[in-house]
Amino acid sequence: MPAHDPSIAALVERMAGSDTGERAAAAEALCRAGEGATSAATALVAACSDVDDGVREWAAAALEELGPPPVDQIADLISLAAADHPLVAYWAVTLLGRGGEGANSAVPVLGACLAPEKAIEVRQRACWALGRIGPAAATARAALTVAAADPDPRLSRLAGEVLATCGR
Amino acid sequence: MAGTLSKAVVRWGAALAALLSLVGGLTLRGSASTARPSTALLTGLSAPFAHAADALPPAGTVGAPPAGGPAPGPSTLPASRPWDAVLIASFNIQVFGESKIAKPQVVEILARVVRQFDVVAIQEVRAKSDSVIPRFVDAVNADGSRYHWIIGPREGRTVSKEQYCFLYDMNRIEVDAGSIGVVPDPGGKLHRPPMHVRFRTRVIPASKAFTFWMVDIHTDPDEVPQEIDALVDVFAAMRTARPDEDDVILLGDLNAGPPQFGRFTKTPGVAWAVAGVTTNTHRTKTYDNLIFDRNATTEYLGRWGVVDLQSTFGLPLDRALEVSDHNPVWAAFYPCESSGPAAASAGIAGLATPVR
Repeated sequence: MPAHDPSIAALVERMAGSDTGERAAAAEALCRAGEGATSAATALVAACSDVDDGVREWAAAALEELGPPPVDQIADLISLAAADHPLVAYWAVTLLGRGGEGANSAVPVLGACLAPEKAIEVRQRACWALGRIGPAAATARAALTVAAADPDPRLSRLAGEVLATCGR
Repeated sequence: MAGTLSKAVVRWGAALAALLSLVGGLTLRGSASTARPSTALLTGLSAPFAHAADALPPAGTVGAPPAGGPAPGPSTLPASRPWDAVLIASFNIQVFGESKIAKPQVVEILARVVRQFDVVAIQEVRAKSDSVIPRFVDAVNADGSRYHWIIGPREGRTVSKEQYCFLYDMNRIEVDAGSIGVVPDPGGKLHRPPMHVRFRTRVIPASKAFTFWMVDIHTDPDEVPQEIDALVDVFAAMRTARPDEDDVILLGDLNAGPPQFGRFTKTPGVAWAVAGVTTNTHRTKTYDNLIFDRNATTEYLGRWGVVDLQSTFGLPLDRALEVSDHNPVWAAFYPCESSGPAAASAGIAGLATPVR
């Protein structure tokens, strides 16, 4: 989980510590850094499974403000997208979507995130991410076709939109 | 600009809801029974326009005399709270939860901001506990102010939820208790569907007082174009939600500046207060705004501002960011319905020109 900026790297280290207050304070500081905390993207996604509410809330708020993830964090985000924890998977998927075409290696895991046993917010976000990745999403066509027939109107709509752009 | 307000509660009928359902798949909640959130969300509201009084408040309780002079322009607090203006603000108080309410210096800044305005629409209340806003209102009222609050349900697609909240000065504002609700979004177009409340100013007799919807929104930064598009439909639906109210002020953190306002920019009459000034604490984005129809809401006085937390309170950036990553934004409206001299005589110097 690289974090090249020394101050950001120090906050990432604090956020992985054993003291709850320290972890929450570090997550809050990363949130205040805004897009400057981009190098902490993967660490912030991982922090979404923290046992402490405060850490999770600040981490999620920080992730809202980040732009596309660094290219060297795509592989870690692909691993996190497969996590069982819905908030971790949701944010990993979101960052992969923000990566756009540069995250096309994530198409298989995003296709897997469409599976019915996944949390609905993860499935919906995976559709959105595939749409952002573009033509490479076509390899997830089978999963998208299933999602397009899902009774959840948002999932169905998003899957249909992706299929319309990458070919049914 | 609206017709004379009936004192009777105007219920939203099922037929109206059905009509609204034709608008972009977004409907307002269609009946009195569903328009209201759980009573746990409300405090002390038992009648339409709770805290209502038809008489003018006693002298000295409604703020300073007319400010006069030029519009204050951007990056300022309003000079005072005059009797001839309703000051409406929006403030995204980033992750407003337990950790923030536990910082007295932050709470003091937030309270000082709120006390400048008649109504403040807040975004990003994020707390498992329901005590954050009551504790904050206690802090606001510690100087003798009389603010009250309305808070919405927890919203969001993940376990990380947010609430909308309205704080209002009971000396100057009252609430149509039957008007509180969240815009239903069965198609899932909005991550956090907006909350709506109808208010009326108390600084003049009720029969002539400015009434208006406020629609509080915090868009999802990853789906801004789609959400802005949906909000155009929300705005249109709110304008026809009841026959005696055409003043709709949609406000909040749009995660978009005027160039990204999409169909709003093509809707005749639609305008926004904030333009050409950044609204985030880092001073890089213009994401917060108030949108209304200038042909309907002629009460707009052309006065608006952005409360730059750093310059207003003398805070370095890191301390200002402890308060929020957004600055509050505000606009002023004439307290009389429609035919007042407001916009006509005051000009619309601060009114944004939509990008077309």
